[in-house]
Amino acid sequence: MTEDHRITLQGESIAVSPGETILDAAARAGVEIPTLCHDPRLEPAGACRTCLVEIDGWRRLAPACATVAHPGMIVTTENARIDRHRRSLLALYATDHPADRAASEMGAPDQLLAMTERYDAPTDWGTMPPCREGRPDDRNPYIHYEPDTCILCARCTRYCAEVEGVSAITLAGRGSQTTISTVDRLSLLDTTCELCGGCVDVCPTGAMTEKLPLVREQKPERELEKIRTTCNYCGVGCQLDLNVDPEANDGRGAVVKVTSPEPGTTTNDGNLCVKGRFAYDFIDHPDRLTVPLIRGADGALHEASWDDALEAAARGLLGVKARHGPDALGFVSSSRCTVEENYLVQKLARAVFGTNNVHQCAAT
Amino acid sequence: MPPAIIQVESTGQWQRRSVGNDNAPRVPEILQRSGGLRAGVSREVARATGMPEAEVYGVGSFYHLLARPNAEIRVCTGLSCALAGAPRVLVAATQAGLAAEPCSCLAGCDVAPAVLRDRTVIPAVTVADVERAGPDASRLGSDSLGDDQRWLGTIGPERGDPEQLALHLGGAKDLAARAYQRSLALGPEGTIAEIEASGLQGRGGAGFPAHIKWSAVRRQAGTTRYVVLNADEGEPGTFKDREVLMRRPDLVVEGLAIAARALGAEDVYLYLRGEFEIPWRSLEQAIAAFEETRVFDGLRFHFHAGHGAYICGEETALLEALEGRRGMPRLKPPFPVEVGLWGKPTLIHNVETIACVPAILNRGGAWFKNLGRGEAGSKLYCVSGHVTHPGTYELPLGVTLDELVEAAGGYVGTLKAFSPGGASSGFLPASERRRSLGFEALAEAGSMLGSAGVVVLNDTVDMRWAAMQQLRFFEDESCGQCAPCRIGTRYLRVSLERHIDGERAGHSAPALDKVSEAAWQMNEGSICGLGQVAPLPLTTALEHFPEDFAT
Ligand SMILES: Cc1cc2nc3c(=O)[nH]c(=O)nc-3n(C[C@H](O)[C@H](O)[C@H](O)COP(=O)(O)O)c2cc1C
Ligand code: SF4
Repeated sequence: MTEDHRITLQGESIAVSPGETILDAAARAGVEIPTLCHDPRLEPAGACRTCLVEIDGWRRLAPACATVAHPGMIVTTENARIDRHRRSLLALYATDHPADRAASEMGAPDQLLAMTERYDAPTDWGTMPPCREGRPDDRNPYIHYEPDTCILCARCTRYCAEVEGVSAITLAGRGSQTTISTVDRLSLLDTTCELCGGCVDVCPTGAMTEKLPLVREQKPERELEKIRTTCNYCGVGCQLDLNVDPEANDGRGAVVKVTSPEPGTTTNDGNLCVKGRFAYDFIDHPDRLTVPLIRGADGALHEASWDDALEAAARGLLGVKARHGPDALGFVSSSRCTVEENYLVQKLARAVFGTNNVHQCAAT
Repeated sequence: MPPAIIQVESTGQWQRRSVGNDNAPRVPEILQRSGGLRAGVSREVARATGMPEAEVYGVGSFYHLLARPNAEIRVCTGLSCALAGAPRVLVAATQAGLAAEPCSCLAGCDVAPAVLRDRTVIPAVTVADVERAGPDASRLGSDSLGDDQRWLGTIGPERGDPEQLALHLGGAKDLAARAYQRSLALGPEGTIAEIEASGLQGRGGAGFPAHIKWSAVRRQAGTTRYVVLNADEGEPGTFKDREVLMRRPDLVVEGLAIAARALGAEDVYLYLRGEFEIPWRSLEQAIAAFEETRVFDGLRFHFHAGHGAYICGEETALLEALEGRRGMPRLKPPFPVEVGLWGKPTLIHNVETIACVPAILNRGGAWFKNLGRGEAGSKLYCVSGHVTHPGTYELPLGVTLDELVEAAGGYVGTLKAFSPGGASSGFLPASERRRSLGFEALAEAGSMLGSAGVVVLNDTVDMRWAAMQQLRFFEDESCGQCAPCRIGTRYLRVSLERHIDGERAGHSAPALDKVSEAAWQMNEGSICGLGQVAPLPLTTALEHFPEDFAT
């Protein structure tokens, strides 16, 4: 940022770096510009039209997300024209979108409805019948697409192509019939989809949403408590937010959903994989082992203390070594372990038991 | 002051979306050869090309000739064809056992109703023709005329002085390439100076001064440049490019060669709408004829067929289509002269614009300029609807409707309304019949010359019905990318329907009270020209013909 790289933004002179968009410059300056189709990880689409601003000398309003802030530009983000634009645009969106916030937010927050309230946009333009095709029979276990709440911002399809490099979903059809589809409208399970759920995460209206919370008719996301933690499915260390319903489980609370932190705030940049995002159901599962078990002489498993359990395991391992030698033993560690834990497993194998038979399941 | 092209930096949007695959541009064509978007085809095409299968499907589903492969015939339901009885033809075809579907304008408004079989247009199909052919679509249009003869329309004026006509559609083809030689002698700067002196404005719709685009491309630092021919003609009411391609393809090819040489381009891309199989052959023959003389050695001409999408006439949607993607317009700026085909500086011209170039070089810019009234050149006006001889008339740019219709043999019935430049220009009342049909004069009236597709309506027409035809067209042809247009085009159509239904049900119909605000939003908020002008048919009908909407 140098002195000759300045623009005037809503009357204030601000410094910009070369190539920076008006939207990014405004965010740094604390000037609000609404967006729906923007995601910092994606190339701008300029398609939702909520971020249009006025630039001196330009006849048409310009998308702040896709317009580079050129030195000397005079940019207006609030005036009567822009206000009229935002309100009439949101009014038009409302004719094509469910108005019932509770229903629409069954899955995830609906930024469009929030924006409609924020800008006090008219909602009396009437509504039109649904016109987009979905895939109600898609048998994949995690991701549901609700075409009626979709605003075709294409964040999901662009994310799938640009960030994941998977391109399992696409804009399909044309005009008012445009929808989000897979090839031949197949189930995600029959496509290249990796079920990472990034589409769910980037969707601003909850049209791409997670199936489980829908089935369980859970509280809307904004009423849940978010607890930041490190994913323990592998050693990468992605950050994720456990969404907890504190009243569930008779007040003990329950994790009812996992979401990813804002892009740009953690090392995983808002991305998660299928396990991190969707595989939380085991937490309160009745089959889950919550205490150590030791098989008794009666052949059945019996609850035990950790000390007794470790003692029994050590005895068993040492017994094998004594009878058959150290190479009769092999150690396989989990990819859920960290590097340090993996180090300790091989240390245990080599130094304690004297074998090089050690492996880790992510090594193949 | 001539409009300037705003120079801005690209955000790189184009680069990111184009990562990929040399096969991408061929995907639509391969889909076509594989029989269109039937189950399983996208996956096969993806395997063969290395493109992601959902992307192949997304591309195919955008273009209706690919997306709807089962139609045996498609009947144009554009305004002029609808006036000529297209809906009855459609019903008769269905009753005859044909898989028949409605489609958007086929550029055959002068020979209405037009019908498409495969990729060939059959003009002037009547209910009797359909009944005679029965369930065998191949029997339609099986008279003694060849395909290429059958689709030629009326041209005029009858006693046009060739000295006053830049295109002279009735003239003989000229393969001598004299204008090209003269352009080589003048050099690039001299050639562009001649174009500037001619005052030539783009004939594709916007009327933008041609020389500004030529100079802008020439100024770019990058040395790989392209010239692109926009032959996607699809604006309802417009069919002049079809006549130029079929009658004077020589002018088009020579004009492209001149532009390519002047701008330092070696590759010329010819984008023809998919329904232009017959004009395609004519253009191909002209190129072959020039190739025999080897006069344009060093230039490569690449053909690319569209697959059924009006929006691909918008220049940046056309570039997307050429690159093998869904034809969704790019954000502008940057303009194609800076970031065009595959990111390179690109000159895109309409067929008629480029066909004016040889005459300008042969006879001089000043000669061309003087052919017009107020604005430069002679101009091809398409006229259809309620006139005696619908057709393509080359007249001074700026004639009035009365003069044009006189050349076309006069009005049928009493003039009520007209569209001066296709659906996108909305409607004007009969009182404007003596207004000059020029770019400026029509802009002053809140309309536009656009592609000069003039549709004449007499007093038998209910303007609500006329507006509805155009609203349906825009709704069908919106690319769907941006909300104001995707939602707005449907909102306007639904509002008008509710208004009409409400009236039928006997209560006063308030359904139109939000139309003007929605129209304002579409104009301000839409990415491209389609959404920006799509409300005009309804708003102008409401403005000029309130009595038709009275309840
Ligand atoms: C929705 C839309 C459709 C268009 N269709 C055509 C078309 O079919 N043919 C054409 O030449 N220009 C069409 N245009 C105009 C082109 O974008 C572009 O301005 C033109 O090809 C430039 O050539 P010109 O300078 O020779 O007019 C269309 C524009 C819009 C917004
Ligand atoms: S205005 Fe319409 S046609 Fe143009 S980009 Fe937007 S949706 Fe597509």
